[in-house]
Amino acid sequence: MFRELMGGMRITMREMLNRPITIQYPEEQRPVPPRHRGRHILHRYDNGLEKCIGCELCAGACPVGCIYVQAAENDPEHPVSPGERYAVRYEINLLRCIYCGYCAEACPTEAITLGPRLDLVDYKRERLVATKDDLLEAWPGFQPLPMAVAKGGGPAASQPTPLGAGSTHDGPAGSAPGLRPPIPGRRGPGPL
Amino acid sequence: MADTAPASELVTLEVDGRSVEVAPGSLVWDACERAGVFVPVYCAHKKLEPVAVCRMCLVEVQGMPKLQPACATRVSPGMVVRTATEQVRKFRDSNLEFLLLNHPLDCPVCDRGGECDLQDFTQRYGPGQSRQSITEKVHFNKAVPLSDKIILDQERCILCWRCVRYYEEITGEREIVLQERGVHTLVDTFEHQPLRSEFQGNLPEICPVGALTHAKYRFRARPWDLRRTASICSHCSYGCSVFVDAREDQVARYASSDNPDVDDSWLCDRGRYSFPELNRKDRVLSPEAATAGGRQVVSYQDALGRAAGQLLRVGSDNGGEAIGVIGSDLMTNEEAFLLQWLARDIIGTPHLGHRLLPAPEISPLDFELGIAEIEECDQVVVLGPLPEQLAPVLTLRLFKAGTKRARKILRVEAPFTVAAIRKQVIGEGRVGVVAAESDREAALKLRTALTGAGRRCEVLTLMERVNSRGCQDLGLLPGWLPGYRRAPSPGMELPDILEAAIAGRIKALLVVNPGPDLEADPRLEAALKGAEVTVVVAAFPGVASRNATVLLPGRTIVEKAGTVTNAEGRVQRVRTAVEPKFAFPSDLKILGDLARAMGGELGAQPLAGPVYDLLARAVPAYRGAQAGLRPRWEATA
Repeated sequence: MFRELMGGMRITMREMLNRPITIQYPEEQRPVPPRHRGRHILHRYDNGLEKCIGCELCAGACPVGCIYVQAAENDPEHPVSPGERYAVRYEINLLRCIYCGYCAEACPTEAITLGPRLDLVDYKRERLVATKDDLLEAWPGFQPLPMAVAKGGGPAASQPTPLGAGSTHDGPAGSAPGLRPPIPGRRGPGPL
Repeated sequence: MADTAPASELVTLEVDGRSVEVAPGSLVWDACERAGVFVPVYCAHKKLEPVAVCRMCLVEVQGMPKLQPACATRVSPGMVVRTATEQVRKFRDSNLEFLLLNHPLDCPVCDRGGECDLQDFTQRYGPGQSRQSITEKVHFNKAVPLSDKIILDQERCILCWRCVRYYEEITGEREIVLQERGVHTLVDTFEHQPLRSEFQGNLPEICPVGALTHAKYRFRARPWDLRRTASICSHCSYGCSVFVDAREDQVARYASSDNPDVDDSWLCDRGRYSFPELNRKDRVLSPEAATAGGRQVVSYQDALGRAAGQLLRVGSDNGGEAIGVIGSDLMTNEEAFLLQWLARDIIGTPHLGHRLLPAPEISPLDFELGIAEIEECDQVVVLGPLPEQLAPVLTLRLFKAGTKRARKILRVEAPFTVAAIRKQVIGEGRVGVVAAESDREAALKLRTALTGAGRRCEVLTLMERVNSRGCQDLGLLPGWLPGYRRAPSPGMELPDILEAAIAGRIKALLVVNPGPDLEADPRLEAALKGAEVTVVVAAFPGVASRNATVLLPGRTIVEKAGTVTNAEGRVQRVRTAVEPKFAFPSDLKILGDLARAMGGELGAQPLAGPVYDLLARAVPAYRGAQAGLRPRWEATA
């Protein structure tokens, strides 16, 4: 019995010398695998135009019906996306989503991908219906959408939510996929 | 083609090994359909003459060296047609490759994507991939507005000519032309004039691709968002069959549904684009009641109790005659029947009405002529422009009768003197008289004058709104009981009810589904203010809802279930296409509950089916007619 006790203590002693593997979540976060399917991101082209054209193929492909898209016609003077059509509303119910990635597969313009973000928690269910403000990639020349203004201020003015934190970035441009720097002051606005 | 030909005259041929019999003169396409063999087509259309330009339907016919267009080849006895051979398959494949050569492949942003024949056939018969790069495509103009209703995308067009032929053969207006020749051919309006037709809305529907699209449906939804409900267009009394395509709680569009007896698969723009009115956001959403502490939102039961109590109190104090009941021609047959029962048997008032225009004399002779029977008449007399203004689709029926059936259409101007018109109606046969309801007397006089001497004359009167005929049939009128029986003691007509309420002789008003003409009448407000008790069931806020002592939320026609009767007397079903935004019972149940709260017993559930059975007991002509049939009225009624 003594021998067994010593055996156990040996492991304990050995592990005492190792660095702890726990991290200070959520201040610190582990990098996720590059193809991790976390919260969705709506991408932009380099010139800032949205890639999403509001075609609803993602909503059609979605096996759980968690995506709602309402399209509208682009104003040729101030286009939101290239071409005639853009998504004026784009909502994903993140509670219903099963993160299968069919939306990304169906997308003809590679506008939607599933990103690294996995901490999808909140105190209110309603806030886990991600809107376009939450999902859209930030861009320096970002203009708040008319509907975002109607909702009560653009991303800068809106109350930071855990999902989008107002500005909707999941990492600085060009950062390695899956490596998400810790957000200083978790509930504050994002890096942009 | 005519399936009524005697069996001995039928032509027997073989399609893909199956023997089929069709009428002589039929097309191979019809024979294929009969045999259950699907043949893809773009240019062919059941309502248009064949042109065989798209070459999609080419099939092999034994004995003919080359493939034949199924949409333009007539059948002959002993013909052997094959649609599944390697030659046909290869041809379809390469034909689609040609069609897709400069097609922009912008399906994701195309309104037709998901219900497009080019998509479907390419998936089914086409090449799996393109041999041409997408950057090599030749581009044309996109999003060209042809009018404020129709948008043309010239690069999506596959030049099937359907739109051009529609304007030639169906409306006769010839507004769209094919410009240039060969690969430069483009569909456009003549000299870039905007389209003026009243029937433009049919163009996107006959277009097999997304070249012609509705401005009002532009980017509103994808086909897989839509919930389709077969119903009746709510705009006029013609009663065209439509599909109501709804996205969530909004009507996204009306699509035509072919009913050869009524609309012949065409809709007018007024009807087709009337749906935004039904999507109005300002609605009566909860029961309200005027209380000592002002107007308050109350529960349904509370509102019902108050309404019944107030009406009963007025009834016991002043007698039933002190209560006026006002319906509207936006009600279904079931609601109209229930309302007149409530008024006559429970409230005990003869003062009920649904229309500002008095109807002293009505009879089933007003709609003896059916809509489709217009084509069978040798001569058709149309009294003035009013009928075609009331029911625009009638124009297309008259055009078809005049061209395809070579009938004589006489459009006469007011005044409609019998002597003048009689001179123009020559010869024997069947004569149809089409008139607006306001000219019904002239029409009936003409009927008497033209009948005889080998002539038979029938009348069709067109009315204002979707169920104007049904409300008459079911006696929602002071002088008429259900089924055109005269009321023993006629009450006041609707305008007189309003006047009496202003004068204080009518103490209580029950207003159900007030129509736009009533809402616009200045007497309504004064009448509602003059009456002590006003119980209103209304879908939209307005004069009636503002002045109600008890207000109950009503439904629009796309939220109702029941039947409506069109101008020719055909009983057709409307179905709930959109769920209302509130959780209160239907108008029919409100009326049933109100009757019960006032001590009446309907003897049936207040649902469309059971009430229809009751109604058919009172009006025998309606028995078994809710399957889209025209009731048989006794001519003597």
